[in-house]
Amino acid sequence: MIGGSSAAKGSIDADRRSFGRWALAPSLIVLLLVAGLPTLYLLATSLTPYQFVNPGSSTDFSAPLRNYRLLPGDPRFVNSLWVQAKLSFWGVLFQVLLGMLLALLLNVNSRFVEFARTFFLIPMVLPPIVVAVIWKLIYTPDISPLYYAASLLNFTMPSLTSSVDFALTAIIIADTWEWLPFTFLMVLAALQTIPDEYSEAALVDGANALQIFFYVTLPFITPILVISGMFRLIDSVKAFPLIFLLTGGGPGSVTEVTNYYAYLLAFDFNEIGYSSAVTVVLLLLVLAVSLGVIWMGRRREAMV
Amino acid sequence: MLVVLLSPFLWLLQMSFKTNDLILQFPPPLFFAPTLEHYRALLSSAFSASFLNSLLSASFSTAFALLLGVPAAYALSKWKGGSRHALGFAILATRMAPPIAFTIPFFLFYRWIGLLDTVTGLVLVYTSFNLPLVIWMMQPFFETLPPSLEEAALVDGARTRTVFLLIVLPMVAPGIAATAILCFLYAWNDFFFALILTRTNARTAPVAVVNFMNYEGWEWGKIAAGGSLVMAPVLVFSLAVRRYLVSGLTAGAVKG
Repeated sequence: MIGGSSAAKGSIDADRRSFGRWALAPSLIVLLLVAGLPTLYLLATSLTPYQFVNPGSSTDFSAPLRNYRLLPGDPRFVNSLWVQAKLSFWGVLFQVLLGMLLALLLNVNSRFVEFARTFFLIPMVLPPIVVAVIWKLIYTPDISPLYYAASLLNFTMPSLTSSVDFALTAIIIADTWEWLPFTFLMVLAALQTIPDEYSEAALVDGANALQIFFYVTLPFITPILVISGMFRLIDSVKAFPLIFLLTGGGPGSVTEVTNYYAYLLAFDFNEIGYSSAVTVVLLLLVLAVSLGVIWMGRRREAMV
Repeated sequence: MLVVLLSPFLWLLQMSFKTNDLILQFPPPLFFAPTLEHYRALLSSAFSASFLNSLLSASFSTAFALLLGVPAAYALSKWKGGSRHALGFAILATRMAPPIAFTIPFFLFYRWIGLLDTVTGLVLVYTSFNLPLVIWMMQPFFETLPPSLEEAALVDGARTRTVFLLIVLPMVAPGIAATAILCFLYAWNDFFFALILTRTNARTAPVAVVNFMNYEGWEWGKIAAGGSLVMAPVLVFSLAVRRYLVSGLTAGAVKG
């Protein structure tokens, strides 16, 4: 009897294992094909001087590290990293600060606020290219309500997206508008897990609102601020549609981030090999930040 | 505050209902007779074909990713151990990688086998980010199911796949629906892949809107109407799944 039930258990386990294999195998194979192989292909191409005009060059591995040696001496590449750093830094900073502010303001238990919060999410879910179109309207003097408002105040606005001084700021503003809801949503979720007793106890002890914020709320939400900031940092590399539509990387290369430079190299200048090397560097940078996020996520889970 | 934050978005929307003369008129009139001329013009132009391409590529890639990913997520949710973490990281990495990293190899490969400018090509590319999303999103849904239910059926002699199909799947239907919507939205919102991997035949709606700007003069009414059409399904769907937006975006690294 006992032997019979363990045999039944054994056959259930075997059945389950074979199901597991059949369920996982197709996904793993497809993932390898659509994500693994392309990555290897990218690495291989980055070791060649491949150009479209010169088909034979796609398998020329005679000087594998040539592209990577060129990178540090390429002023446009170095500049693109610098532009990306500026865009990421200010974008993430504004998104985290404003998102936190908005979350603090709207962390109220009322039907109306809850209803309104849904609409705050709109910019984040819009197709990125529609966000770019929206800001294109706002930055185009002929039809922009912003320029009209400025003219009413007898103030002549400079053309933002074609000015060396303002183009990057214009992108940062649009990017912040688009992704503010993300940090807002994350911080709000964290705020709602703070037990009321904490701030009540602080109130009883005579703390004012500012003190409660700095000593109770802020320590509680710091991890989520950091994590949402890192996610925005990773995704700030993907601000392609905004740059593509608003400035095209210009004027000059003022708004040319590394992602955009790699795009131009591959699909405008036909320098596939060199573009691949730029992309590999970008990929490594993104992966390094991602590892940081995972490490912090684990630590946070361990803490809770 | 809500109105101020959303004003850029509302501006686009109201513009799509104005005649071209009215768009250029300042100060803007508070009330105007809305016109559907831009929408009508779009419907009878090549834009409707692009809209269909968007619809097809987003739907097929969603279906494909669900078909492969849901059973895989179920199997993984029953799995313990280090290999699961390793796979988790691989999945997260595909979510983080900048699209250009996949675009260059896909472009070269498609040029070689003739998949450039086809909906099939787009479906395959979209699977590269939708399949990891499905596997990641679905696991928590399976984990919350009471294991006793499946075990009872297994002891009664049912095969694992029968249990999966007849008992487990119906119970996670809401999760599948939410995941499907997110997949659809990601594919629908894509601009970069479609820009590079398509030309005219498989051009998607987002790319078509941009083409109104570059090649057909500055027809703002048409641009606004096109933009509004592209965002319409997104608005409807995303409000339906707003609870899952955060976990979808962060690929589960944060429990939102």
